[in-house]
Amino acid sequence: MGKRLHLTLGDDSWTAQVSANTVTLEPGDEAAAIEVEPVASRLRARSPAGEKTGNAVVAGDSVWVTVEGEVFVFDTRRRSQQDRRGGRDQAAFTAPMPATVVRIAVKAGQSVHAGDVLISLEAMKMELPIRAPRDGVVRALHCREGELVQPDQSLLDFE
Amino acid sequence: MDEAADFMIRRILIANRGEIARRIMRTCRAMGIESVAIYSDADAHALHTREADFAEPVGPAPASQSYLNITQVIDAARRAGADAVHPGYGFLSERGEFADACVEAGLTFVGPPASVIRGMGSKTAARATMIAAGVPVVPGETPADQSPAAIAKAVRAVGLPALLKAAAGGGGKGMRVIRESSEVDDAIVAARTESERAFGDGTLYVERLIEHARHIEVQIFGDTHGNVVHVLERDCTLQRRHQKVIEEAPAPRLSPKVRATLLDAAVAAARAVGYVNAGTIEFILEGDGDEARFYFLEMNTRLQVEHPVTEAVTGLDLVRAQLLVASGAPLPFTQADVRASGHAIECRVYAEDARRLLPQSGRLLMYREPVGDGIRVDAGVAEGDTVTVHYDPLIAKLITHGATRDEAIDRMTSSLLSYDILGLRHNISFLLALLRREEVRDSRVHTRFIEEQLDALAAPPDAGLVRAAAAIAAWAATRQTSPVTLSGEDDLSALDPWALIKSVAW
Repeated sequence: MGKRLHLTLGDDSWTAQVSANTVTLEPGDEAAAIEVEPVASRLRARSPAGEKTGNAVVAGDSVWVTVEGEVFVFDTRRRSQQDRRGGRDQAAFTAPMPATVVRIAVKAGQSVHAGDVLISLEAMKMELPIRAPRDGVVRALHCREGELVQPDQSLLDFE
Repeated sequence: MDEAADFMIRRILIANRGEIARRIMRTCRAMGIESVAIYSDADAHALHTREADFAEPVGPAPASQSYLNITQVIDAARRAGADAVHPGYGFLSERGEFADACVEAGLTFVGPPASVIRGMGSKTAARATMIAAGVPVVPGETPADQSPAAIAKAVRAVGLPALLKAAAGGGGKGMRVIRESSEVDDAIVAARTESERAFGDGTLYVERLIEHARHIEVQIFGDTHGNVVHVLERDCTLQRRHQKVIEEAPAPRLSPKVRATLLDAAVAAARAVGYVNAGTIEFILEGDGDEARFYFLEMNTRLQVEHPVTEAVTGLDLVRAQLLVASGAPLPFTQADVRASGHAIECRVYAEDARRLLPQSGRLLMYREPVGDGIRVDAGVAEGDTVTVHYDPLIAKLITHGATRDEAIDRMTSSLLSYDILGLRHNISFLLALLRREEVRDSRVHTRFIEEQLDALAAPPDAGLVRAAAAIAAWAATRQTSPVTLSGEDDLSALDPWALIKSVAW
């Protein structure tokens, strides 16, 4: 028996079956079950492919895992439950982290070329330019210079 | 030699935050000196604020309004009844007017005199001083006429590739590499804008770009009794965007002849400027063996981020020496006392997405440091703390010491593998990828190595590792006793994820 759950990581997703310490992942080789067990306050995953030790924290719908210094954030919700965001273009016009808008280089209605800097953000002493992904027009601006913006907040509309 | 100074610091304000504030406090505690922390609104509950004997607020979260606000910091020192100020690194540590303000307020400034800070703070003045002291500098030009046309002319005179630098610069700000003559105009505008924004001074100078060079620096120390010594060298060649990533001591693959000349040059340079307290003279090293040539880059008039590798190999406490010297005592060690034992290496653990090169912020859902012989962790955070967007994304410095360089690196690798940090992305896998490289093992690297090898170093994890992580995630998620996560049906997005964290003691 055991428990079933969904895991999503970026574009990949699995259905995991957990029975005691044995984890099977689909898609994947049925025979390649992975044994997970606690070892000295950490977690060890053993499979025919080898042994990896790391750790995990469950936070709401997310499971944070570290193995060999890598950080993975798995989503345990089903695909249908996950927020549907816009395409890649939309993601390109959001702040990647909380940041300050230091400069807005364009006006609403302005035509721009691919690669032009539209907005400059600054966070942690680094300047992060938001560039036009292709030739197009800035339809509207949703931020002001000096404003502190949050991740995923839309900074402008672009077509 | 009189052992006890007439004056000894009793209560010191540490004008900094994070790991360096804590590291200074540690020595203060050992010496019976009371520590006063300062904190911005964002750091009211930070580790350095909690651990100090006293803590004083200095303003809102942005550093410009708090940690960089001289009036606020001096007021805090007065309120706390401090008799001295340690600036740490960064923030106000290399601002002459801050050293002046401390002295005017009757506070002992732990560092060199303001005149020396100013002299070295101007990169162009420092170059001139070093030339006068007979220390080799990178061939270059400092145009008196600062018009774009005159700077462009200086670039042509120096020859391409060239490096355009801010006279007031540091940390790679206001710096531009010029490879093609078509890039000159844009580079001047970019370097000037960045320099004016970062330092309030747009003065630029030009150096020949020395490629495939190593970055070697010498720790020097002076006191008010005329003693000046070196405390060996460090190799900080592994950098990214002019920020050091891995540092070590002593420098590997450095011929005894070149090392001796380099250390002598550093002491001569320190003497030439009348240096007092801890400082670092940075050089770039070009070539190999006895033929290697070094050039003065800049002098940092403060304690360096990477000072722990020097402490690890020499057994000296540099902060203790700083506090004694600032109190007017002679240096607690002589040149003959300075000897290297084994090898030490330091990795800077940053909150950053190493693939997308972006600093990260977030709450540390899990923070567990490696422990063991020859392992030192200088961290500014603990589990549950938040790494904010306001300051440097350094989480911790991990330092390992071994009898040999190989031993220190092996110990570093195993320490990184057992360092569990969750809640934000960090560069540990990137550091591990670096340490696995043969060029790093053999010390056949140059300052652009990381940039050139970035794709390989930041390669995505292999499928086997991802599957192991997925299995661990599945196991951990099913051990979660809270019904909310197992059902997966409830919308939890409005809740603070911290409230849902299960305590993890597997």
